[in-house]
Amino acid sequence: MPNIAGKAFAMNLITPIERWQAAFNKIQFWAIRQPILSFSLRGLVTLSMIHYARWAIVQPTEWPRLDESQPKEKLHYAYQLFFSNFNGSWAQYVDSFSVAIPSGLNLLWFRNVGWPKAVPEQPFHRYVEHNEVWTSHYYSAYPMAASNDVKSAQRVKQALTSFASRTKDMEAAAFEQAYNELLNELQADLSQMAPTPIVSLANAAVEERMRQDAEAGDEQDSGRAPAMMGGSHAE
Amino acid sequence: MSTPGSPVTLDLHDIQGNIVKAYSRYDYSHARYVLFEITDGQAGRGFIATLAERVTTSAPWGRGSTEERPESTLNVALTFAGLRMLGLPQASLLTFSPEFATGMRGRGAILGDDGPSGPERWDPVWRKPHRIHVLITINGVSRDAIETAYAFVTDITGRYRAGVRCLTGHRDPEGRNDMPYQAASAIEIDGKPTPKEHFGYTDGIGNPYFKGTGEHPENVLGGGKVTRRDATTRAGWEPLETGEFLLGYKDEAQEFPEAPMPPLLGRNGTYMVYRKLHQNVGSFNRYLDAVGTEYPGGKEALAAKFAGRWRNGAPVTTFPTEAEAEAFAQQWMAAKLKIQQTPKGPAREEAKAAFAQLNAKFVAFDYSKDLPGAGCPVGAHIRRTNPRGSLEFGEAFAFDTRGALTNRRRILRRGLPYGSVVDPQDDTGEHGIVFMALGANIRRQFEFVQQQWVNYGNDFRLGNDRDPIIGNHGTTPEGKGDGRMTIEAEPGGGRPPFLCGGMPRFVETRGGEYFFVPSITALRLIGEGMVDPT
Ligand code: HEM
Repeated sequence: MPNIAGKAFAMNLITPIERWQAAFNKIQFWAIRQPILSFSLRGLVTLSMIHYARWAIVQPTEWPRLDESQPKEKLHYAYQLFFSNFNGSWAQYVDSFSVAIPSGLNLLWFRNVGWPKAVPEQPFHRYVEHNEVWTSHYYSAYPMAASNDVKSAQRVKQALTSFASRTKDMEAAAFEQAYNELLNELQADLSQMAPTPIVSLANAAVEERMRQDAEAGDEQDSGRAPAMMGGSHAE
Repeated sequence: MSTPGSPVTLDLHDIQGNIVKAYSRYDYSHARYVLFEITDGQAGRGFIATLAERVTTSAPWGRGSTEERPESTLNVALTFAGLRMLGLPQASLLTFSPEFATGMRGRGAILGDDGPSGPERWDPVWRKPHRIHVLITINGVSRDAIETAYAFVTDITGRYRAGVRCLTGHRDPEGRNDMPYQAASAIEIDGKPTPKEHFGYTDGIGNPYFKGTGEHPENVLGGGKVTRRDATTRAGWEPLETGEFLLGYKDEAQEFPEAPMPPLLGRNGTYMVYRKLHQNVGSFNRYLDAVGTEYPGGKEALAAKFAGRWRNGAPVTTFPTEAEAEAFAQQWMAAKLKIQQTPKGPAREEAKAAFAQLNAKFVAFDYSKDLPGAGCPVGAHIRRTNPRGSLEFGEAFAFDTRGALTNRRRILRRGLPYGSVVDPQDDTGEHGIVFMALGANIRRQFEFVQQQWVNYGNDFRLGNDRDPIIGNHGTTPEGKGDGRMTIEAEPGGGRPPFLCGGMPRFVETRGGEYFFVPSITALRLIGEGMVDPT
């Protein structure tokens, strides 16, 4: 299953919650996004392995259907959708969450059905596994970049553009001084970028088979069946 | 915000000695590592049962104890293939951790064992993992002590030869590749064993401190987990939970680690990673010589920035200049001498206290005042392998505990250097470290450190930069090394950071495997063929 694209791992978690409880969570999601309470998200921001994270409540009536012919589902619960993209493996991510911000996780999930608490870790692992929807299609525009790489690249580009115009007519000595200052300012952004280390051996094996199939397919010039089939759909 | 948890009492007589004791700190400066294949379960079980009676435990030695420190120690570890040959029921085998069952070679892609570290280059004995079943580690205070213990092992191997065979195929310094054991010993200078490794650094300083070992409480300084208090004081540290290093006890997630069944099989045991790591001493010295002339602080400072410690062991975050590190080393030596020269009594106790205070400076530090890395680079070896709370990046209280991202990634390091450096400009020959890492979860602890922190850098916001010393640096199409490292300057101030490039691979894997270190009880259970998870 392509939960992995480039340096990113996608996790979709859909957890049931009583409808009346969901209302509280909606308020809570709104509240933590207010600047005055934003400190409560500091842990998430500091966990820089996270590329992107989003919470939403989906009411029983809000689930999309492919078209009119798909019968409406009768759902008892509202659902909390958690959508996250991160660098590293599933276990690394889930472990980091559980150990770094357990109180924050408890706050966001304690109203959900069957929530075991973020610590101890093994029941928490089981809860995530049970409620996770495997990704069917996943695409990364920057397969060599984690969010840290993107942020660094942006800072370097901005600083360099301004540096170039600022120093156009500088004397050599002044230029050297300015250049050193630039390097100093950017010293935390100068690391190299390369493909991700192998996130999982199973995923690496799938990729390798797909590569081989593609090569074989090229030779025979025949279309290859989509490598990914089945699995549940999040849409 | 930390959860102190309750104290833990360990049955040290049931726990193998290499888990709790770093033998080299007790003057065991020689070692021999021997591998065995079991071809017959019954003979194999007899072999294990006999060994169980001789295994060195973690029971304390010396003062206030009934146990004398032995001349040599003996410990036993088993691979997954070994457990199967010994007749463990499938229901038990399936309860061991997947990475242990897979073995080191199968996990090579995670560990970065590629190119010159690939299994084709390993010592012949490590190339047939399905035959590696038992590892016996012998440590001794002298070569004679090693010989005596080895003779004992050879003797019982002979007794069970119907189904137990010592595997040959270790390389040795004379160029043989069919040795029946791996020898290792502390590097001697002027005939005295030292804690040095072949790149010239003092090693074996930092090790985790966890509950129940009976170690001196002062050792929690630097060895435990960081609190939010001053890291140079006792209040700055708390012991780690036992379950991070021993199965059957609560761990940092306040639960019992996943462990093999039945419980008696796992309890008081742990997992162990064995890696034979070759050191390209010539490349390392050439790199330091060449780049050291350009580096403002010179060659020794460059070496210190790589490791995070000066070669004399002083942490570079606390002692940023060579002069300060030297002065500290001299104070330390003087304080040590003073103890020896002071007769028993209050004066001696005072001298001891003064020494302890100095000694703590080797370990009682963190990077909270050095976040940008102008003292100890963010990518230095010891900062990568134990970031000591710096992954909160100065955002106090971003995480529930400051050590959150570190505490579950700690490893007990054991092992010794092997071989000797004949020509400091030469990479070839036999010299390196037999590196052993113990912990309750190989995937979460050793493999994570090796992959994410040593061979990658995203957690430190260092992109794909690797550990300068042990990273698996590759080669560019022009045949140069592709390793890079930023040595940070003081932010502001206008001084540029120093950018190291073109680093070749200084350390290469020459073999290794994942092992299980059973308790004495478990060894007996296995030896008697009594393991039954129902
Ligand atoms: C030939 C290979 C290696 C060399 C030359 C080497 C060298 C060193 C040195 C000089 C130190 C500082 C002394 C000390 O703090 O005890 C150190 C510490 C350490 N090393 Fe290595 N090392 C090697 C391999 C490894 C590997 C493979 C790992 C783990 C994947 C590792 C993990 C650590 C850890 C955890 C520390 C202690 C850090 C701390 O607590 O501050 N080392 N090493």
